[in-house]
Amino acid sequence: MNDVCIILFGAAGFDKAAQGLAGAGRRLAVELGGSLRAVVVGEGAQALAPEVARVADEVTVADQPGLAEYQPETCLTALAELCGTRRPRAVLLAGDTYSQETAPRLAHRLGGSAAGDCVEVRVAPGGMVRVSRQVYGGKAQAVLELKRSPAVVWLRARSFTPAPARAEAGAVTRAALNVRPDTRARVVERGREESGEARLEEARVIVSGGRGIGGPEPFESELKPLAELLGAQLAASRAACDAGWVPPTWQVGQTGKKVTPELYLAVAITGASQHMAGISEAKTIAAINTDPDAPIFKHCRFGIVEDYRKVVPLLREKLSALMK
Amino acid sequence: MNAAAVNEATREIYWNVTQVWVMYALLVPTALVAGYGVYRHLSRWRRGQPAARFDRPAARVGLLFKHAVAQRRTARDAVAGLFHAFISYGFVVLTVATTVVALDADFGTAIMRGRFYLYFQSLAVDVFGALVMVGVLMAAARRYLRRPRKLVHTDEAALILAAIFVMCLQGFLVEGWRIAATNDPWAAWSPFGNLVARASQSLMGPEAIRVWHAGAWWFHLATSFAFVAWLPYTKMMHVLTAPLNIYAANLAPLGATLKRVDFERTESFGVNTLGGFTWKDLLDLDACTECGRCTAVCPANTVGKELSPRDIILGLRDLMHERPREAFGLVASNGGGVGEVSAAACTTPADKEPTADMEARKPLPIIGAVPATSPVALWQCTTCAACMEACPVFIEQMPKIVDMRRFLVMEEAEFPDSMQEAVMSLERRGHPFSGTQATRMDWAEGLNVRTGADVREAEVLLWVGCGGALVERNQRVTRATAQLLEQAGVSFAVMGREEKCSGDPARRIGNEFLFEQLARENVGNLNKYGVKKVVTACPHCFNTFRNEYPQYGGAFEVFHHSEFLARLVEEGRLKPVPESGKKVTFHDPCYLGRQNGVYDAPRELVQISTRGGAVEMPRSRNNSFCCGGGGGMSFVDEPPDKRVNQERAREAVETGADVLAVGCPFCMTMMEDGVGARKGGRDVKVLDVAELLWEASRPREAGKQNL
Amino acid sequence: MNILVCLKQILDPEVPARDFRVDAARREAEQGSASLVTNIFCENALETALQLRERAGGAAKITVLSCGRPSAEDSLRKALAMKADAAALVVDESDATPDPLAVARVLAAAIQKLGAFDLIMTGREAGDWGAGQTGGLLAEELGLPCVSFVDTVEVAGGVLRLKRQTDAGWELIEATPPVVVTVTNDEHNVPRIPKVRDVMMSYRQPLTKLTPADLGLSDEARAADGYYEVAELFIPQKETRCDFVAGDTLDEKVDAFARRIVEVTRAL
Repeated sequence: MNDVCIILFGAAGFDKAAQGLAGAGRRLAVELGGSLRAVVVGEGAQALAPEVARVADEVTVADQPGLAEYQPETCLTALAELCGTRRPRAVLLAGDTYSQETAPRLAHRLGGSAAGDCVEVRVAPGGMVRVSRQVYGGKAQAVLELKRSPAVVWLRARSFTPAPARAEAGAVTRAALNVRPDTRARVVERGREESGEARLEEARVIVSGGRGIGGPEPFESELKPLAELLGAQLAASRAACDAGWVPPTWQVGQTGKKVTPELYLAVAITGASQHMAGISEAKTIAAINTDPDAPIFKHCRFGIVEDYRKVVPLLREKLSALMK
Repeated sequence: MNAAAVNEATREIYWNVTQVWVMYALLVPTALVAGYGVYRHLSRWRRGQPAARFDRPAARVGLLFKHAVAQRRTARDAVAGLFHAFISYGFVVLTVATTVVALDADFGTAIMRGRFYLYFQSLAVDVFGALVMVGVLMAAARRYLRRPRKLVHTDEAALILAAIFVMCLQGFLVEGWRIAATNDPWAAWSPFGNLVARASQSLMGPEAIRVWHAGAWWFHLATSFAFVAWLPYTKMMHVLTAPLNIYAANLAPLGATLKRVDFERTESFGVNTLGGFTWKDLLDLDACTECGRCTAVCPANTVGKELSPRDIILGLRDLMHERPREAFGLVASNGGGVGEVSAAACTTPADKEPTADMEARKPLPIIGAVPATSPVALWQCTTCAACMEACPVFIEQMPKIVDMRRFLVMEEAEFPDSMQEAVMSLERRGHPFSGTQATRMDWAEGLNVRTGADVREAEVLLWVGCGGALVERNQRVTRATAQLLEQAGVSFAVMGREEKCSGDPARRIGNEFLFEQLARENVGNLNKYGVKKVVTACPHCFNTFRNEYPQYGGAFEVFHHSEFLARLVEEGRLKPVPESGKKVTFHDPCYLGRQNGVYDAPRELVQISTRGGAVEMPRSRNNSFCCGGGGGMSFVDEPPDKRVNQERAREAVETGADVLAVGCPFCMTMMEDGVGARKGGRDVKVLDVAELLWEASRPREAGKQNL
Repeated sequence: MNILVCLKQILDPEVPARDFRVDAARREAEQGSASLVTNIFCENALETALQLRERAGGAAKITVLSCGRPSAEDSLRKALAMKADAAALVVDESDATPDPLAVARVLAAAIQKLGAFDLIMTGREAGDWGAGQTGGLLAEELGLPCVSFVDTVEVAGGVLRLKRQTDAGWELIEATPPVVVTVTNDEHNVPRIPKVRDVMMSYRQPLTKLTPADLGLSDEARAADGYYEVAELFIPQKETRCDFVAGDTLDEKVDAFARRIVEVTRAL
């Protein structure tokens, strides 16, 4: 069979990740010449199914009472049964924690091969599924050939574009499953991360200010609104913390926090080694600085040589327009 | 008076005093009490570990003359030096005089005659007695009117001053009354005694003088004997311990004071008991005069942190004096500090103390036993050795701190997180800058710098150091140094990726084990290439190479880059043309200046590069104030209001200098931060001496670029 | 309670990008002058185990297991220095980088040989290849349940209470031993620094060495049983140069800058 199966968790809804997953599934199915089947599992599956059906050829809803809440063992057994019966060529999952947890084990149960955090899924000339993924902390890129079938692949979040809607919606069916709860490991309590200040180390986007900010007020009046707009955490260089403009807990660098955001926006930070040591794991660094020779620009993906006082207010305007 | 009379000049000893045998009888208990006091000290010191401190006797005697006799260090504080000289030299004179009396009167030597009697026994003793009293008054005035923060105010200190004053006063009364009653023909030779005589003659009758004289004589005797008996139990013990301590001082540079650890044989790494210190360390405790100079110069203490070298010494001393049996593990201790100590360190066999098992008789842990030895304080030391340089009696405060750090690091693994990160990075990558994106050779981009096998051919090895290679700002210093060497036609090479941290931060943080690994690896690599001559811009590497690597088979001729560059200028191989005329102040790196005595080379470079625009900071040369970055402290965040670097930056800026010159990668980081943390004010640049020299030496046509 | 912690020795993830090289033929990273270290998530797992043992008043035995080159012994010695009780190494001399299934099979065979364990721990992923599969595949090989992204483990009346991180927050999971967990980091399981004395002692402690053959795993069987193969490994051409946004006016420049930011953040 050359079908592709995608697995979605109902509770998450048809978010960007799910849309990207469907897009990747569709493109792979086209390459393989097979159809795209979606398995939607858990609470909310029924509601989600029609949306998924617009891009998939077939949607199987698995929302039996035993599956309503994610229970790792029970869910895995059910998914193995649902995927296994149809012998797909590939099973794709999103990059959320449940998918990551499920994928390798699902591959094992289906006799397939798994690969994770993939940014590209294609079919190699020999017919094998080939994936690309970052390795060595992003320093290198690897292309893997999954030798067994099915290829069970979880995708790097939001690396894939959505699939175009089809003229005719796929059929939605309810899975015929005999769910047997496996209680060897059971989720007994769930909690949301307390809102409020998340940990700087976990932040995806960081707006950071340095000595060039010039005082505590601009952190409040300029950087804070910018950070809010970007859903970012605020941080600072040692110089800004030393000056007492912001609390020492904001400090990023050799003697401060080591952060790993996707985007680190350095505002009026020169970029001394001590500071750069704290952001070596940042995916993208961008900077606003008046000095084109500032060391920070050596580590930047992109930058702007201007006074932040002029840039930031305008940037906020532009960003809110672009993000609408 | 005729010459014959002068030759016979003397006085009647005891004169009015009878039953002198009582004095000798009293001498016995006095000697017993004092002797026991001294013996107790000796027996405590003997509980310490061995230390070889009696080699090179000539050098030691020299040191003794310079610092015990001439009191050179004591005299650095002019007022204290003066009154200390009055009191101490006075005491020596008075002690000699008393001995002369005893020899003359009771051993029948009849030496107290003639000119000796007049010049020494009368005049000199009279004058020195007066100087002692002046000294005591000065000391009291300073202690109680000026009240320097560095002094500890104890009853003992007051009592000592009072006792000395009273003893001398009695001496003058006894002398004066004798002169008054006997109409001493030589009275003029005792000017102050004579004053007392004149005054008494007008106030008292002859019989009253005789009675008062006898009473005063006996009281003088009683107080003096009591003082002697009491002396070993007080800080006055330093009259014996200070000379001994100076004699047993560390003769090597201050940078070579840390002890090695024998990892094969040592029971407990580092020190957490008094018995873990060497006998010399314990002698240190009893040599302390409580003068407080160490704490006064301590950078951490100056900026308001807890660390106080004086209080570490005094706290440990008090433990040794007040709880010796617990401190040395002779009886059960109730703890009070941190950590465990190997039961094997117990010295008393278990059967002598049936109630206490081995576990309970662990010696009292000293870390945290007194506030001064709390880990918080111990982790504030920058190992700058200002305390040791300031100490008039050569106490070694900093190595004790490192000893205790060793315990915390190697036995407990309890040390500040950011230091742990630096240590982990040292273990894994051979450099302490965790998270750095720089590589060992980034600084050399675009330069033709030789590495690897070329090291063997090169005249000198440029040891870059982690700071010089991996900290962006210091890469520019390394470049400047390399370009200067190239310009001077020096054939040099670098170790490149084969270079690892010298081990200095590991050693000062207290991980001696890691230090040894790094030292052996580096020495092995350097010897592999037959390296003979090493130039480095890092004083920490410099110190390690110079003072520590010889113990690991590394015999190198080591130069700080300032020394080597100054020599190249002297030899005419570099011809700097200064053009700035800027005002420059030089900050002495502790590990170059104070700890290794290199003060002039960097100053020469400053002079040469700036047409003599050098200004000195108030604290410079051996009295220089640390940047705050030594001893692993550059890897620790200090509280914002208690930063050593800001204190030093303030001092530098206040000189009015345009450039703060440094000679150390750690100083560079700390001073740049310190200068930058000031709000507003003049723009002061921080430059390494090599950068200054390069600015004055580099080819001009290559485009002018202001540093 | 018997705990087994799997450790992987990897190339120091902090090797600067400019020093990082790949051997295209072997399709593996070159070690160069970089050192080998224990994968951080594995150390988090060990730390979690050590804390569990401390809370249990020492009533637990921790065995560390690694499979890899002979140099992996260093990782196990360090674990012993951190006070693991026993260590075993399956020495794999082969030059190829094993796939996750091959590793899981070796580990499973070794675990079965070493004894019965109530709790088997791995790191969530490794800092080199970052496959994130070993724990799950190991659980399948052993037929055990598996809980991922755990940061805290407690024992209450024979039941393991596992706190784990999810996208939304956290979950508390009760598991009946034996179970496999993969551990992620949080502020409580930062690996401890071993005492120097323990580091020295660790070199005198026994360490079990096994080969795949000892475990009944023949090279041929393993080679035939491929999971995935590295077809290519390369260092992506990264822009080392900073793009200074272009524009004649401030407005244009900021506009370009904003677009670049949105480009990055849109994917989040």
